[in-house]
Amino acid sequence: MSPTGAAPGRAQSRRTLRRLLSARNVVVAAATALALLLPLFGSNFFVEFVMTRTMILGIAAATIVFLAAYGGMVSLAQYLLAGVAGFMVGNAVVAQDAWSKGLKLGWNPWVAVLFALAVTTAVAFVLGALASRTTGIYFLMITLTYAVIGYYVFGSITPLSGFGGITGIDPPGLFEDHPQRMYLALVVLSVLVYVAFRVLAVTPFGLALQGIRDDPVRMASLGFNVSLHRTLAFTLAGFTAGLAGVFNVWWNGQIDPTSISIGPTLDLLIVAVIGGTLSLEGAWLGAFVFVAANNYLRNLPLVDHIGITEARFNTIVGVLVLLIMILSPDGLAGIIDRIRLGLRRLVHLSRGSGAGPAEAAAGSKP
Amino acid sequence: MNTDAAAAASADRRGSLLNLEAVVVAFGGLQALGGVDLQVWKGDRLALLGPNGAGKTTLFNVIAGDVKPTSGRVTIKGIDCTELPARFRPRLGVARTYQKTRLFRGLTVEDNLYLAQTGRSGRHLALLRSGVDAEFRERARAMAETVWLADVIGVTAGDLSHGQQRQLEIGMALVTGPEFVMLDEPASGLSRGERERLVQLLLSLDPDITLLLIEHDMDVALRAAQRVMVMNEGETVASGTPDEIRVDPLVHAIYLGSEAGLRGADP
Repeated sequence: MSPTGAAPGRAQSRRTLRRLLSARNVVVAAATALALLLPLFGSNFFVEFVMTRTMILGIAAATIVFLAAYGGMVSLAQYLLAGVAGFMVGNAVVAQDAWSKGLKLGWNPWVAVLFALAVTTAVAFVLGALASRTTGIYFLMITLTYAVIGYYVFGSITPLSGFGGITGIDPPGLFEDHPQRMYLALVVLSVLVYVAFRVLAVTPFGLALQGIRDDPVRMASLGFNVSLHRTLAFTLAGFTAGLAGVFNVWWNGQIDPTSISIGPTLDLLIVAVIGGTLSLEGAWLGAFVFVAANNYLRNLPLVDHIGITEARFNTIVGVLVLLIMILSPDGLAGIIDRIRLGLRRLVHLSRGSGAGPAEAAAGSKP
Repeated sequence: MNTDAAAAASADRRGSLLNLEAVVVAFGGLQALGGVDLQVWKGDRLALLGPNGAGKTTLFNVIAGDVKPTSGRVTIKGIDCTELPARFRPRLGVARTYQKTRLFRGLTVEDNLYLAQTGRSGRHLALLRSGVDAEFRERARAMAETVWLADVIGVTAGDLSHGQQRQLEIGMALVTGPEFVMLDEPASGLSRGERERLVQLLLSLDPDITLLLIEHDMDVALRAAQRVMVMNEGETVASGTPDEIRVDPLVHAIYLGSEAGLRGADP
């Protein structure tokens, strides 16, 4: 039929290439390139504050999206897990003679990272195993309970949380006094996390996870250990949240129990909801909207007269989330999808409905 | 009965696959199964008949491990499975379908058929694809052909028509290479032509595969089965060959009662 039939290998690779060049991937690649070039033209405040925070929140929110989109589990424990990693880093790196609190172990910062990730992963495994038999609203409630318990645990074990927080947590020399490097590292990490989650979706593990999302009963009857699978997915998400937590504590330089209280926990869920809990890109998109709203709303005319305090900011974010829930339950990513479909339809109409598909078919031939 | 003796004799030859002893299931005050005994032999083709609420699906769920019996014993291939959770059944070669279709609605037909195989193999925790996966993919595509879904193999299961979903449901049970297949009303909601295809598919199965079938469509059930068990109100009320069941007056009274009565009063 086609001349490429003689060279199946080439046809195969061409098909793979075309699949990789989907509109979605091209847009993500362009956004990544833009993010990497940003330090060349963006203001210091925008890069080192707004975008750095966006990347940290984006990675943490991506773990919520990963669990929700592939596993059908909406978790409120992700910010807690990021906080566990943060507290571990804080306790491990602050030097004995420093004017700070906590365990003050004075370790090498990279050793501290490994330690923090190991502890976070172990905690995620245990919490995941306990929650793995529940789904839907019950899973949400259990992870909310984790978040609340975590807050009180760190609040009451003051040797760990330093009675009001651990301060003076320095990042490793690589990032210390180099906020742009930290930003670039976060962009690279974001890309890695994004690609890893996308690739995971088509592995046997990821497909089975989606099967469990769709029908756990059938999965059990096909011989799958559903709770173990859920536990492992939760553990992986916990590890990734831990990565975000490490950068968060480096960026903040301090951590205290209030920073993992119910407020920030809900903020992270709001980030995921704004972006859309069903698409990974939405995590970073939602994080950007959230951080930008937090930083720039107060500069808007009229709004600057009111003055945006924390409480008023929450009101605005609340209205934003309400609007998104009503207009597009799948978040900003869903809105973008709809605009894309609408544009495609417009293009078809302008070409003439009769000729459109035929032209498209002719154009797709090699 | 003569046939029972013959069946028992052949049982000795072929070996028992499934054995239920005095299985009772009570949901609170409601007794869904009141002490059912059932023996299924290797290569058996057994149909369960009975009106709605007779306990057929409950019996299925007990065998499949989705429901634990209140009392009694379930033995599959000589292994006591009474307390064993559902996920251990596939290792014994058991596969089942559900009355209400249970598919992975967000995944394609091929992925559904692929996933159905990975559970038994333990491949589902793997992060890398390997040669085994290529084999599973190959078998998934072959099974899609068998259940007439080859042309929609890339379609998301949730977007299939009702009939196609039923076909996929059966495909997912058969693709695991089972020794014992349990089909819960495979013909429900199918058109006449689709039913005929289904009967042909069931008749074309490897004779070594044991089949347990719940079916409301008497025509499908009596053609696909060699042995029929009739249930009513949680108990076995008759069993025999399809020909015996067709003429059994008791079966007519409880199962075909209304229909037969209507026919009688319609001169």
